[in-house]
Amino acid sequence: MNLRPSTGQKKSSIFDSPAFFNSFLNTRSWEPPWLNDFRRKHWEEFLQAEKSFSKEGWRFSPRARFGFSKFQQLLDNSNSVQIENSDHPGITFETVEKMILDRPDVLASHIDLHGPDLGAGDIFHLISSLAHTGFYLHLEKNADPCLHPMKVSHSTANDSSALFHRNTIILEPFAEATLFESIDSEGLNSSSLFGNVTHIELGEGAKLNRILFQSCDHSSTLYQLEHFNIGRNASITNTTIHLGSAQSRVETKGSLLGEGAVFENYSLFFGQEKQLFDQRTMQHHLAPHGRSNLVCKNALSGESKSIFSGMIKVDNSASSTDAYQSNRNLLLSGKAEADSLPGLEILANEVKCSHGATTSRIDEGELFYLLARGIPQPAAEKLIALGFFEEIVDKIRNENEREHIRKKIESQFEKNE
Amino acid sequence: MIRPTEIDIDREKGNFHYKTDYAFDAGVGLDEDTVKYISGVKDEDSWLLDFRLKALLAFEKKPLPTHWATKDLENIDFDVIRYYLSQGQQPSRTWEEVPDDIKNTFERLGIPEQERKFLAGVEAQFDSEAAYSRMKGDLEKQGVLFVGSKEGLSEHQEIFKKWFGKVIPTSDNKFSALNSAVFSGGSFIYVPPGVKLTQPLQAYFRINAENFGQFERTLIIADEGSEITYMEGCTAPKFETSTLHSAVVELVALKGAKIQYVTVQNWSNNVFNLVTKRALAEEEAEVRWIDCNIGSRLTMKYPGVILRGRKARGEVLSIALANDGQHQDTGAKMIHAAEETTSNIIAKSVSIGEGRSSYRGLVRMPKHLKNCRNNTECDALLINSESQTDTYPAIAVQGDGNSVQHEASVSKVSAEQIFYMQQRGLRESEAMSLCVNGFVNDLIREFPMEYSVELKRLIDLEMEGSVG
Repeated sequence: MNLRPSTGQKKSSIFDSPAFFNSFLNTRSWEPPWLNDFRRKHWEEFLQAEKSFSKEGWRFSPRARFGFSKFQQLLDNSNSVQIENSDHPGITFETVEKMILDRPDVLASHIDLHGPDLGAGDIFHLISSLAHTGFYLHLEKNADPCLHPMKVSHSTANDSSALFHRNTIILEPFAEATLFESIDSEGLNSSSLFGNVTHIELGEGAKLNRILFQSCDHSSTLYQLEHFNIGRNASITNTTIHLGSAQSRVETKGSLLGEGAVFENYSLFFGQEKQLFDQRTMQHHLAPHGRSNLVCKNALSGESKSIFSGMIKVDNSASSTDAYQSNRNLLLSGKAEADSLPGLEILANEVKCSHGATTSRIDEGELFYLLARGIPQPAAEKLIALGFFEEIVDKIRNENEREHIRKKIESQFEKNE
Repeated sequence: MIRPTEIDIDREKGNFHYKTDYAFDAGVGLDEDTVKYISGVKDEDSWLLDFRLKALLAFEKKPLPTHWATKDLENIDFDVIRYYLSQGQQPSRTWEEVPDDIKNTFERLGIPEQERKFLAGVEAQFDSEAAYSRMKGDLEKQGVLFVGSKEGLSEHQEIFKKWFGKVIPTSDNKFSALNSAVFSGGSFIYVPPGVKLTQPLQAYFRINAENFGQFERTLIIADEGSEITYMEGCTAPKFETSTLHSAVVELVALKGAKIQYVTVQNWSNNVFNLVTKRALAEEEAEVRWIDCNIGSRLTMKYPGVILRGRKARGEVLSIALANDGQHQDTGAKMIHAAEETTSNIIAKSVSIGEGRSSYRGLVRMPKHLKNCRNNTECDALLINSESQTDTYPAIAVQGDGNSVQHEASVSKVSAEQIFYMQQRGLRESEAMSLCVNGFVNDLIREFPMEYSVELKRLIDLEMEGSVG
């Protein structure tokens, strides 16, 4: 079903138009009333948020590239999210569309969660309002860790369309899970918009190992907004690999709510041509004895650009916190650009916090060493860049997946040669 | 200016004031007439009056930077401030001529005493105008100029007008615009080519009146191959209401010149210290900002260097101490605009009690440049559980020819260190003082001798009663 904007509306985007929104709601009249109210509430907040966006949250970012005006349709294809390996005792792993039909009450109890709120508040509300599906993963208390990782894949829309997913992951106390998530365009040449909001709740002692692999078409726009609520002694390892999309805005927030919570966030981005990667993160410590670590590595070729804005916030209540953050940028071309905004806000005193940011080109000594052994320059540069990424790839514990992702990254370089 | 902070810190040396009769008073509040009054009293050329009036418009138009800075700025009431107060227009050349109450003020602060010992020249500013200005005779013969802003812009226009307001444009920010509209006093210094000053020049800034805003303007031009060290100190008495200090400092280091600018800021903690400082470094020139902030209620100060010539070098060394009721919001800016330029920023802050210190930095390297390098280190020490520290650096690097590294850490004095020293018979407060002094020691060594001794003493003083 495609919705065209009615004529006479202001040109900014179809999403602003009440006519568009009302006809969208009409197509979803079969949904429970609370979901309708929820959608309307978020749509109204979207209109508000759009007017008062935070300049600080968009520092260094060419915001115009993230506009919605060029997207003329909203896609609600039920195949846009695919789930594998869903059949285990104690585990619910379904598409949100199916959950709305079969178990709306379960969904209702977890619907009202906050976004990362690091600048793209408007798009958070827009996605919350218009998302037709997504995935829902719920592990009961002490659910058996499955031997095989769970897999979910999102496929983006085709030309000029927008697609929104809203996902929920809930791990009850002491549940453990590994989740592979992928976003790609399945070979479609599409300048589409994909907005993906994910909420993650970890109960006491729960463990989540999540890997996200993104290889959208190089003309698409991506919004990836995720918020982790981490309970007492729970731990999350979040590893994300971004290779695709023309421009991506990624917001990741970890709230360490319980004592002894652990938040590890690793990411890599390989930029080519005019790709733009705008990443905002927050490590928010609210309870004592928490530990967080973030490593963000960007290698930039062509005229690509990365923005890393990371904040470590330690509340007064979070004594004995250990928090680290490091941003490493490797510039492979004379026209690439890397901006870093590493930040600290520390209100507790029993803490160990540090951050580091470096930006530089390939080390001349390393390059010379390889050239001296007869390796041609492009191959040598590729080897060094792959080595640079290895720190992140190495965080993926599953050997097959690790090898698979290594190959994918390598193939990006071959495209360049 | 409402809401004075009630917390008192022992900083008694500067805490006294004399009732002074002012011959010139621009009254309370700011409008076009205030600006015209100041300009008239100074008998200024029309271009300067135009400059001031244009700045006033810019000031009125610019918003307060509260979308990123502290909301405390909103407590400044620009309508109750007195913008210009002075006893006379000409600074005295000998100490004896200085009016008694002003002389007593500076005697108590030990200014002429220091001059006799080691300075090449001294200027002492009392509220809006310099009360005293003197430089050693041989420097005058070499062509060094060390004058106030009024004299600099009237009698030496050919030298100073060219650079005046060029490093920091009037509308750079709200407070630089304010300064441009109502500036008075400050130092204008010119060092001719090849002249190397072996002794520092010093300026001393004193706020005496209540509800007063001090807006000095400093411009230092170091001609090719010259060298100069300039030091400034600031104090004010503790009044019930707050005081505003908003200076603009511009440095120009021409080819191969070296400028070292040392600040020891010890305003009482009712002063809003909102200062814009920037330097321009031409080919192979070197600019060092050495900055120590101990006083004030809120300091916002980010000394910058625009590295415009090949192989220029910029450096900011900064120490900040934030105690109860204080927010030291300091930092540095390094704008690389030529090849092979290097910059170094080392910032250390200590937060005590409910004090808050922030570091804000900007490092920018555009893509057409090669071999630019920056190193930034920010270390913060937290003493009590209510202390706060923030770090907000921004680094923008384009192209594969440049490299930057930034590192920041936050820590506290470990219980083990204190225990170790207590074992050896030191009291807890002594041990804490020793730790803090050790933390800032490598930076304090960069200050001139007599300042580093003074700084250590001040830090000891600030640390008193902070433990437990």
